[in-house]
Amino acid sequence: MKTTGTRARHPLARFLIRRILIALLLAWGITLVTFVLTNMVPGDPVAANLGQRALGDPAIVAQWKAEHGLDKPLPEQYLLHLQGILQGDLGTSQQSHRPVGDDLAAFVPATLELAGAAILISLVLGVAFGVVAALRRDRLPDHLLRVLSLIGISVPTFWLALLAFYVFFYRLQLTPGSGRIDPGMTAPGPITGLHTLDAALTGQWDVFASAVGHLITPALVLALYTIGLLTRFTRSAVLEVLGQDYVRAARAKGLPGRTVLFRYVLRSALVPIITVAGLAFGSLLSGTVLVEAIFAWPGVGQYAYKSATSLDLPAVMGVGLVVGVVYLIINLIVDVLYGIIDPRVRLQ
Amino acid sequence: MATRSQTAAVLLAGALALAACGSGGSKTPAAGGAAGKTLVIDTSFDLKTGDPGRTYEPTGLIIGKAAYETLLTFDGADVTKPVPALAESYELSQDGKTLTLKLKQGAVFADGSPVTADDVVFSLTRVRDMKGTPSFLLDGVEVAKDGDSTIKLTSKAANPALPFILPNPALGIINSKVAQQHGATTDAKDKAEQYLNSASLGSGPYAIESFNVSSQVVLKANPKYYGTKPAYDKVVIRNVEAATQKLNVQRGDSQVALNLSGDQVTGMPNTLQVKKTASANVIFLLANQDSAISKTTTNAKFVEAVRKGVDYAGLLELAGEGSTQAPGVIPSQLLGALPADQAAKRDVEGAKAALAASGLSNPSVKLEYPSELTVNGLSFQPLAERIQANLKEVGITVELAPAPVATALDNYRNGKEEMGLWYWGPDYPDPSDYLAFLPGKTVGLRAGWKPGAAKEIEAAGDKAAVTIGDDARKTVYRDVQTKLNAGGPFVPLIQPSQNIVTAATVTGLEYHPVWTVDVADLGVK
Repeated sequence: MKTTGTRARHPLARFLIRRILIALLLAWGITLVTFVLTNMVPGDPVAANLGQRALGDPAIVAQWKAEHGLDKPLPEQYLLHLQGILQGDLGTSQQSHRPVGDDLAAFVPATLELAGAAILISLVLGVAFGVVAALRRDRLPDHLLRVLSLIGISVPTFWLALLAFYVFFYRLQLTPGSGRIDPGMTAPGPITGLHTLDAALTGQWDVFASAVGHLITPALVLALYTIGLLTRFTRSAVLEVLGQDYVRAARAKGLPGRTVLFRYVLRSALVPIITVAGLAFGSLLSGTVLVEAIFAWPGVGQYAYKSATSLDLPAVMGVGLVVGVVYLIINLIVDVLYGIIDPRVRLQ
Repeated sequence: MATRSQTAAVLLAGALALAACGSGGSKTPAAGGAAGKTLVIDTSFDLKTGDPGRTYEPTGLIIGKAAYETLLTFDGADVTKPVPALAESYELSQDGKTLTLKLKQGAVFADGSPVTADDVVFSLTRVRDMKGTPSFLLDGVEVAKDGDSTIKLTSKAANPALPFILPNPALGIINSKVAQQHGATTDAKDKAEQYLNSASLGSGPYAIESFNVSSQVVLKANPKYYGTKPAYDKVVIRNVEAATQKLNVQRGDSQVALNLSGDQVTGMPNTLQVKKTASANVIFLLANQDSAISKTTTNAKFVEAVRKGVDYAGLLELAGEGSTQAPGVIPSQLLGALPADQAAKRDVEGAKAALAASGLSNPSVKLEYPSELTVNGLSFQPLAERIQANLKEVGITVELAPAPVATALDNYRNGKEEMGLWYWGPDYPDPSDYLAFLPGKTVGLRAGWKPGAAKEIEAAGDKAAVTIGDDARKTVYRDVQTKLNAGGPFVPLIQPSQNIVTAATVTGLEYHPVWTVDVADLGVK
């Protein structure tokens, strides 16, 4: 009884520990799955990485295999990979010949900046549109937003990216071209790796304006799917809550509409919205591959694509692990937010 | 509520306006202007390293050519005659085994120190012995200095190709003292690559300012360069997909786009310059000669039917303006290339007759090719489909078997493809590189063509390998190709066009078969 009492006193801590342990187990699972899958792919990394002439020289092939640990049996390769991860070493990329960790440190900030801006835009616009659609149910704003969300969900991201680049950059000349900043500019000192933030911190306002300008179109393109998704879910969640007795009671008590909306309706509707936002983040990360390619955004998506096409196994596994861990962290945050928003979840 | 909405709307509008004003109006980075003189080149990156001794990819060769100098080079796009670079003169011995080069005086590295014979010996020995991708270029070549300004390169057999090999940027000369301080060695233990990815140890017109294999490389003019100063102070080479390259160069965001297809350069505005040059890449078909792989493609009459059945004009139409038919495996730019009038012509009746003579009834073959690979912007998929349709008219059923390049390479390299659609780009612009197509050699083996399978062709190849003198070499290499076309398992198809689009302000652009573009040659109008 005493133990139960202690546990009951720290339900959130117990909940957190359980979630973190599950996340660690899943992270190990990710390493195993990425290793097995990358090694099951038909094709020879040696052929993908060496020139045609070099392939004909057994000494060069043997040295290349030894350099990248491919001369060892697969189970040994996996154990070495796992041991490396535990020591913070993700191996050496076969294409860049640099530690995968260093490569990722160079590319992850660009993707985080893009995905972060996209998720921020999605949350603000998606929730706002959903609430407006619910409050104006079956009226013109609702119909318009329904069409918008349908477009966001159904239009392929790569097509939208090409169209946006063509229209806003080429035709209307409103937005800048490829990359993160204008090619004539020097990137701000890497404080956080996020050009917008670094430029602001160092007071380079011309670079800041350039970075924001380069960010806005790809971020909007990337966000459109999530905006569509969030609009639909927020609308249905808000509509469901609006019909609840306690909302009617709050209104009957004469509370202002804003108070009813924020304190009663949105708080209750947040659980499904957070669930969808967490899931959407995963699809947003996968969407970066195409968006980064079209906007020449030097992020993890481009690195992953190049690694996959050249069968750069350490890089592919590194990207898989990092993306998987980011996804786990997002899910962990979502789980914790559930616990905070709805105390019943902690006790289950 | 209304006030908050208005505030939010104003904030959003403000952010959009900031983006539009701050960067949307970002102007061309001074392609032709005096300020900064930055040149932006967009290309689809194929880049692994900034270490010249390990470089073998097209983007790496562009960078290597700008930052490092070689002993010999080529003048513009003419690859038929090597000319002096760090060596002021060279001489090949009568037996073709010894190449003697006299070093130019006054050449200095980016740090101001002089280029010495020791640097040359170290650099070339390092490439040969650290077993990187370009090591084969100097296989069997001994490097030694003879005094302070003479270098002797000695081969066991006659090596008339060596003067054509030396201009390869992989054989760029590095500052050996600094390189050794950062882990450079002349064996497999070399650890200088990471350092060379961020620093320039060459004597070229440019130095590396920043280097990222996946996104962007920035070159800055080398202030210590002893030759003619380049026109641009800074060159930004960006990794950009072809579709985006087109929009960037049209809008003026970049000044050079390197990877546009024939379709993409059609209808370019007059304000841009479009250069369409047949590339040195030869796309060819191979028919496997190993009876364990196929009983069909080993039939010489079947190969003849394929050769006569392909509609070369149709393939050229697909490849776009600037492309040319390949009469032999050696591309038109190189010494020993077959004249255009010796190219194969479509002859459907002749193909049907050859097929009838083969004794094969309604043969069916599998054609493998890399599905996502493009050569000079040209995809293999439509080529394969066109060949399939051509051969169907002759009576040959072609089953298309596309695969991702890494997968397709595996079968190709191991000689397991019944028929294959591939390309070969010159490792160095010398016809001897194409002896790889003979029985028992690299490409020959990929077509299941074992040593001794075609003694007459092999004898012609052996003779070509040791023949000295341009005229004599031209004759023997043409002879090899004529024999190869008559009795070999390869069907040379086309050399697709390399389409390069530049801003009107850019001058001096020449397509080069080895390093694509020499950025130091580019000028401002």
